[in-house]
Amino acid sequence: MRTAAPSKRIDEPIHSGFLQYAGYRWAKLAILLCALSIAAYLWHDPVDGPNGGTWLGYTLGTLGAVLILWLTWLGVRKRRYHSRLGSVKGWTSAHVYLGLALVVIATLHCGFQFGWNIHTAAYALMMAVIASGLYGVVVYTRLPSAITRLRDGSQREAWIDEVFELNAQAIRIADLLGPEVHRKIVRSAENIRIGGGLRAQLYGPKTPKTAADADAGITEFLTERLDAVKARLTKGFDPNATAQNTVMFMAGQLVAAGKDEKEAQRLQQLLDVLSRRNALIARINRDIALHARLQVWLLIHVPLSFGLLAALVAHIVSVFFYW
Amino acid sequence: MGDAVRVGIIGSGPAGLAAACRAAELGIPHLLLEAEAHLAHTIFRYQKGKHVMAEPGVLPLRASIPFEAGKREAILEAWNARVAQLGVNVRYRANVTAIHGSKGNFTIVIADGSTVRAEYVVLAIGVQGNIRKLGCEGEDLEFVQYQLDDPDAYQNETIVVVGAGDAAIENAVALAARNKVTIVNRRDEFDRAKDGNNALILKAIEDGKLACVYNATVASVRPTPGAAKPGAVILNTAQGEAVIPVDRVIARLGATPPREFVERCGVMFPGKDPGAVPAVSPQYESNVPGLYIIGALAGFPLIKQAMNQGYEVVEFIEGRRPEPADAPLLKAKFARIPGFRSIDATLERIRARIPILSPLTPLQLREFLLDSEIRTPQPGEIIFRRNDYSNSFFSILDGSVEIAIDPVDDTRTLTLGSGQFFGEMSLISGRRRSATVRAGAGCVLIETPRRSMNKLIASVPSVKRVLDETFLLRAIQAHIAPGIDADALKDVVASATVRRFKAGETVFREGDAPGGLHLIRKGSVTVSRIIGGREVVLAYVPAGQYVGEMALLSDTPRTATVRAAVATETIELEGGAFKALLATRPELRARLEETYRQRVMANVNATAAAGSGSLVQFLMAQGLGEATDVLLIDESLCVRCDHCEKACADTHGGISRLDREAGPTVHNLHVPTSCRHCEHPHCMKDCPPDAIHRSPSGEVFISDACIGCGNCVRNCPYGVIQMGAPQPHRPSLWRWLLFGGEEPGAHTPVHDPSAPKKAVKCDMCKDLPGGPACVRACPTGAALRVSPERFIRIIQGSA
Ligand SMILES: Cc1cc2nc3c(=O)[nH]c(=O)nc-3n(C[C@H](O)[C@H](O)[C@H](O)COP(=O)(O)OP(=O)(O)OC[C@H]3O[C@@H](n4cnc5c(N)ncnc54)[C@H](O)[C@@H]3O)c2cc1C
Repeated sequence: MRTAAPSKRIDEPIHSGFLQYAGYRWAKLAILLCALSIAAYLWHDPVDGPNGGTWLGYTLGTLGAVLILWLTWLGVRKRRYHSRLGSVKGWTSAHVYLGLALVVIATLHCGFQFGWNIHTAAYALMMAVIASGLYGVVVYTRLPSAITRLRDGSQREAWIDEVFELNAQAIRIADLLGPEVHRKIVRSAENIRIGGGLRAQLYGPKTPKTAADADAGITEFLTERLDAVKARLTKGFDPNATAQNTVMFMAGQLVAAGKDEKEAQRLQQLLDVLSRRNALIARINRDIALHARLQVWLLIHVPLSFGLLAALVAHIVSVFFYW
Repeated sequence: MGDAVRVGIIGSGPAGLAAACRAAELGIPHLLLEAEAHLAHTIFRYQKGKHVMAEPGVLPLRASIPFEAGKREAILEAWNARVAQLGVNVRYRANVTAIHGSKGNFTIVIADGSTVRAEYVVLAIGVQGNIRKLGCEGEDLEFVQYQLDDPDAYQNETIVVVGAGDAAIENAVALAARNKVTIVNRRDEFDRAKDGNNALILKAIEDGKLACVYNATVASVRPTPGAAKPGAVILNTAQGEAVIPVDRVIARLGATPPREFVERCGVMFPGKDPGAVPAVSPQYESNVPGLYIIGALAGFPLIKQAMNQGYEVVEFIEGRRPEPADAPLLKAKFARIPGFRSIDATLERIRARIPILSPLTPLQLREFLLDSEIRTPQPGEIIFRRNDYSNSFFSILDGSVEIAIDPVDDTRTLTLGSGQFFGEMSLISGRRRSATVRAGAGCVLIETPRRSMNKLIASVPSVKRVLDETFLLRAIQAHIAPGIDADALKDVVASATVRRFKAGETVFREGDAPGGLHLIRKGSVTVSRIIGGREVVLAYVPAGQYVGEMALLSDTPRTATVRAAVATETIELEGGAFKALLATRPELRARLEETYRQRVMANVNATAAAGSGSLVQFLMAQGLGEATDVLLIDESLCVRCDHCEKACADTHGGISRLDREAGPTVHNLHVPTSCRHCEHPHCMKDCPPDAIHRSPSGEVFISDACIGCGNCVRNCPYGVIQMGAPQPHRPSLWRWLLFGGEEPGAHTPVHDPSAPKKAVKCDMCKDLPGGPACVRACPTGAALRVSPERFIRIIQGSA
């Protein structure tokens, strides 16, 4: 930061993301923690090989357990809006780096002893939680800008309003083109799907059966019309093109209407409106998908974390009472 | 010929009503003239069920008619009952158009042509003005209305909205959700409205949500019995006559301010400022003998004050001198002054001691002191600190104060003594205090809040003049020529002129002939240059600093363009006088050159930071030029979790004062709809109970004195104030985590229509230790609150 007047106090730049928080304070601490654990692990040479039962094993285990509890606490802290205990940004930063440090600490704690038991199950759960968290970090760094780019200064509500408006326009134009066109456009408007359940949000909405039927109807109709106008076509036309059915149908209409200036114009207008509408719908669904992807990993991360807590308790109880 | 009475009272608001009731109680022949068909039109027009507040709480009510805080309906009912019980003579639908004659023999002319003779006239018509009607045939038809309480009350109707102001736009857009709406605009633009509303209506028209007829006027409105719609509107348009069948016509054409009418009655206003109120005697008598002015029209914006005056004015007319209702309040205030004897003696002493207050009328002085606090600080006690955000005004009654003018050397002070004043700098510029002030020995100060001071500036021309001159001298001393005494600056001060610029207006242009130096007194400017054929903004200069110093150092043409970022006032110092001063003061020249050198360097850096210029321009367009602290969101970090909104709601009674998603975005930088804590907050402009304040650390907040009138909501150009009833109870986090249900911050407050609504806005969590909850709750660091200066330095340094 270059400023005109050098300030006397060197304070934290007021604007930095959670990963850079406080000059990577928590990243440094996490690395230090890992380095210390590795050093101790290498230096320590217990008789029966490294495992969770040595004093170092207990130390690392306790550290790991405390870390897991504290990391879970983020869910509480971030909703305690009155809390003055650090900023949530600092907590998130620490959560990410100390969470990653757990990989090293927990692995050294168990001394690479794996088996088909509750202990390894807890370990595996922990790694799954960390992996999902890591994915979350990637999502958090990539998607926000993608949403901004997609939005391009506009808002989803405005798009949805526009879709409604375009639908109304399309129906108005279709009305002038005769009942058949009108009916098909109304049907296609009814078949618009935006968002939906989680799956639909993430991968785009599925077309319901009735809509598929309607589409088939349009295709049929389209083929008939295509046959009728083929004679007048100078250029080749691929009858198997699978692009948007409605658009294809309109394209057929457009050619057939060559003799009638006005009708051709209307058909062109309708085509434009429909393509703009479909582009908008695609955009809205993409926006919904991006937002969903920002959240969906939490649906894995959080339940897994609770699973981990349960496994952790089982692990500790079994170590102390049944071993 | 009409009736003859002793007292003719015009306007049946709280003021006129109280006067009429007192007259009736005393058996004085009187007549109350009311333009509308019911009593107290202003209160009648309040939203249904509105909770009316009885501010100021400390003021006792003395009137022959009851009033206490409560529902609008209950209050109106009690008033109607009391009027009937006392046998008050009221004439409804009597719109008074003129008052002729003199004391003892006035003639009151009513719109229907009838007249009333009265010995005394009490003018209590408030400040709401007369609603402008359509002014054509059919303007009073049943389906023509001039107000809209609840847009949701209408569905599936065809409605024509007439007007192009904020009210018309807001009504039209709200109605369009469920009705077929056409808005009729006399001109071809909506630029009289707030920017937000302008954008709102243009978008709604473009989206086809409602129709708009530009350049059209209403020729007439006709009932159409037997037709599908009850009536039709006939429009004169550029293309000829158009007929629209309608269910309803809603005309929102504003109101004619009462001033013109009042002036026609012979009453003088002290200044042109729209905020000016007519000067009246302590007995509320205007410059026209026998014509009394009370209530909001006389500058008393609350119901209780108006009612007290109504009672008192009748007493005065009857030749009695009741002790004013505020006497105990004044006495309690004055008791702090050492050697206090009586109210009158103290008033006289204040007037004699403090020259700036001497031209006030006795009533103005009383009002001024009622609003003010008397402070008797210990010697050495700090009155305010440099960089505090307070903006009250201090007059020194006794003793002295020490002003530490040098930010580096605390021992360099200036002493002000009895009769002088300080604090005018922040009052005028809206910026932080520029010096620290300590009390001297035997110090007695009168501290006056910003609003009362502004009222005085608008109403008493000499107060404005003295303040302007003092500001000028002190600003030059503080920012340009420190340590140089008033005498040496005489010529420079004499050469100075105050210049006003609208937002976006050019102060001077790159390449212009050299001119004077501009010291920014209010607002802010941007400095830009043409680089590569494009205008690039290099710097933002706030009030208190100056631009154009180069012209005084050399005779080269202007090297940059300076534009007002918001409505701005500068003090232009003419070159000749200043150069003469510079010739005799080399240290001053060196100082100016140093500033100039620093700026050139900063500009080089800014030019190198490609792209930052357009960002600065964008931010200025968002009104950041008048902001002191603004919430920005870096969208490249924002994960759209809305914890900022939830944090705001959770810490403020369930109502979020920010809307993350709304607002414009440029280059990943998003300006959400949230308070900017303006230097001169628009919301403060017209607050009857003076409930909006700025705390010393800068937050603009609304106190509990809010009466829920909604003026601030309308006055805020950024749309960041809303009306709401905060919830006392907060949902429990643990209950939600363990059992679900109400989530903290995410719950919508239960809609209780009877809960009194008040204005709510961002207070920057001033009562929460640790700072704004929105920023503290952001998990990724996307949200930040900054001052524009600081922010612009950051983007220019790192963009
Ligand atoms: C929305 C809103 C909410 C408010 N809430 C509160 C509150 O909660 N508590 C509070 O203390 N104050 C409140 N106020 C302020 C309060 O309404 C005014 O201070 C008060 O009404 C002023 O009383 P008045 O008698 O001076 O004038 P008004 O009440 O304005 O009365 C003027 C009367 O004169 C009539 N009139 C005007 N011109 C003529 C004419 N030429 N001929 C004949 N009659 C005429 C009008 O029709 C009207 O009835 C609020 C104001 C508004 C706008």
